[in-house]
Amino acid sequence: MSMLTRRAAMIGATAFGVLPVARLAQAQPRPDLLRFGLSVWPPNLQPWQSVGQAAGMIKMLIGRRLVGFDEKGELRGELARDFGRDASDGAWVFRLDPRAVFHNGEKVTSEDVKWTIEQVAGERSTAYYRAQMQRIDRIETPDAHTVRLHMKEPTATVPLWFANYNMPIVWRGTRNMNEAMGCGPYRLAAQERGSWIELQAVPNYWVPGQPRTKTIRMTLVADESLRLAALQSGDVDFIEFVPWTGMAAVEADPRFKLESTMGPFMDILFNGTRPPFDNPLVRRAVAHAVKREDIVRVAFSGRGKVLEGMPIVEGTPWWDAELSRGHNYDPERSKALLAQAGHANGINTTLLTTGAFAMHKDSAEVAQQYLAAVGIRAELRVVDWSTRVSQGIRGQYDLAVHGVSADFNDPDGLTVVLDTSLSAAHGRSFGLSAPRTTELLNKGRQEFDHARRVEIYKDMQRAALEEVPVVGLAWREQGYAFDRRVSGFRILPGALSLSSGVNLEFTSVG
Amino acid sequence: MLYVAKRIAISLVLVWVVATVVFLALHMVPGDPAEVLLSTGGTSPDPYAVAELRERLGLDRPIMVQYGEFIARLARGDLGTSLVDDYPVAEEILLRLPRTLELILAGTLIAVSIALPAATYAAVHAGGAFDRAASAVAAILQALPVFVLGTLLILVLAQWLRWMPAGGYVPFAQDPGRHLLLLLLPAVAVAKGLAATVFRMARAAVLEQLSRDHVRTARAKGLTPRRVVRRHVVRNAMIPVTTVLGLQMGTLLGGTVLVEFVFNWPGLSTPLLRAVETRDYPMVVGIVLTVSGLFLLINLAMDLLYAVLDPRIARS
Repeated sequence: MSMLTRRAAMIGATAFGVLPVARLAQAQPRPDLLRFGLSVWPPNLQPWQSVGQAAGMIKMLIGRRLVGFDEKGELRGELARDFGRDASDGAWVFRLDPRAVFHNGEKVTSEDVKWTIEQVAGERSTAYYRAQMQRIDRIETPDAHTVRLHMKEPTATVPLWFANYNMPIVWRGTRNMNEAMGCGPYRLAAQERGSWIELQAVPNYWVPGQPRTKTIRMTLVADESLRLAALQSGDVDFIEFVPWTGMAAVEADPRFKLESTMGPFMDILFNGTRPPFDNPLVRRAVAHAVKREDIVRVAFSGRGKVLEGMPIVEGTPWWDAELSRGHNYDPERSKALLAQAGHANGINTTLLTTGAFAMHKDSAEVAQQYLAAVGIRAELRVVDWSTRVSQGIRGQYDLAVHGVSADFNDPDGLTVVLDTSLSAAHGRSFGLSAPRTTELLNKGRQEFDHARRVEIYKDMQRAALEEVPVVGLAWREQGYAFDRRVSGFRILPGALSLSSGVNLEFTSVG
Repeated sequence: MLYVAKRIAISLVLVWVVATVVFLALHMVPGDPAEVLLSTGGTSPDPYAVAELRERLGLDRPIMVQYGEFIARLARGDLGTSLVDDYPVAEEILLRLPRTLELILAGTLIAVSIALPAATYAAVHAGGAFDRAASAVAAILQALPVFVLGTLLILVLAQWLRWMPAGGYVPFAQDPGRHLLLLLLPAVAVAKGLAATVFRMARAAVLEQLSRDHVRTARAKGLTPRRVVRRHVVRNAMIPVTTVLGLQMGTLLGGTVLVEFVFNWPGLSTPLLRAVETRDYPMVVGIVLTVSGLFLLINLAMDLLYAVLDPRIARS
């Protein structure tokens, strides 16, 4: 009586082979290791160059800024134990935490801060905050732990500059900026260019109890679907830039948690050097022509929010319900504005976007359809990212779709988008005149009274709604997803969401 | 000897032509490495910072000066360093090329070990159920885009069943088991198109051989059908199949880009794509030269092999 048939033997053999494979497939989690799925490779880790969010996250973990943000997005000291403005002479004063040391054991002193600012402001600097640091008139270092900054003109937003991830304080003995000496909770232990980076906790880090996890291994998983699959299959514990199509699945899965917020946004930019978009009436016609709900639905799978005003984060003192709908969808008004501008028969134009990011292309395609409905016939020009940047800077476009985040939640963080008096950039309208908006941004930056600032920025929004330096399209949801065993991570609100990686130092596994 | 020297000289000229075309093409398309680098993440760079970086990278010099320097460096065997982080291009290629070659080799092994027996069986039983089914599968595989197959494999085997990792790479020396496991799905994806091509080619070649006089003679001599197929059909049918396989392997050098991207296999394609996006000229030129150099090397080897097999080619 043979119980073992040929078929049964084959099934058994297959199962025998599959089971160990299935076991191997599960990379085993360890409590001292956080496996992180990175969305893009940081081009370099030079401390003050702006080379993207991924580099920013690592720079914040390796280095320390004078100031950081708490979970509510409020400023808190990081290297600075306290900071504020000296009422007697208007200087900004930062008092350093005396415990702070660089990874080489050297104490962090006011001289290091002074040296950092001087390097960033230097004539040959390629730093993101070069122009801002050049607005500092004089730096005083009365003792080893006090820095006093005298500004060329009153500036209320100075602490925000020093909270940016492109402003870490670097040891003044550093010579090679690719290996800048930081004072953060982690150090770069190993890496394979373009594949993975391993960060190791600094032994005896100067903040007791930090960081929570000994090792963070960041592996590049550029494809968003694969990144999500890597989380779901247990290959990584944590991913950034959760694809919008996958957010609902993560929320529904009891194994994972999603931390998300509305932060970055999409907008339309103009070439203001030539007709028809040198005319604010035509720009307003564009603003009222696009039904944003469809952009949210198509480009972001519903994980976004319409943006019908200037990109001011809801819930902040600067936000105003009426102003936030200042460019509401109103095709009749759009047509009337076109007619008033002398374009009753419509306009033939071009719309520049990039195919490198689906959200740019999808937003542009939806906008194109709605613009056509009011008579603005825009030929879509889809180019790669490098070309998009190049043509944006050179003004080789009529209309362009862009996606960006403000530098911070204070309205001054929108200067990079709204102040068209600044140099030509692919993320700002080209050669466009919006003098009242620019003037009010400057006024708000110089005002220290909170109530007056709120009013100034509401006036700024009114001016921008008329001058239309940009047309807001949609907020997009920014998400991090992680295994339930991971705790301690919080996403930062609004425009700061892209800086949330700094909170990995509070994150633990298991 | 003269023939060999001539072929090598032609290959060197072709390398120079490829290098020049790639260099000039990259400089002609819009996009500036300094602007792109400082705009990563969507931020708007300070034009002074861009100008300073361009100067540091030597991009402010006339293009012919840059070209002359590039060719002189190339003649010394120096591929230069990345514009993005100053990393040596040769080191990047030396690290990643073996991974791409490993993937191609594994894919080829899978393709051949499945397609050849299947093609032989299908041809011997031409018109039968297996032949019809296998031909249909080959047609589907050929039509199925590699990213669709890759995504399906990941969805079913990694996300649903959790039998396989979703992608990635572990060095063989670090963990041989996991290395092979991670290699399996991308190798299957590489094998997909190749298996279909080999199947169709081998089936046609076997069918042709089956109708030849020497096969009929072998049968008449009383050899068993299995022996006839093995000794007199398959061996002869392998000649055109081997030629196609050689050409296909060359094509796969450039064709693994999608597979490597979908499965996050860190071969040559990831740095190539990134370098094109960021206009990292030295990295793009270095990788393209390596791939085209390998292609030329395969062609050169084949030319020399033909000359050995058929001396009339060398004499002509």
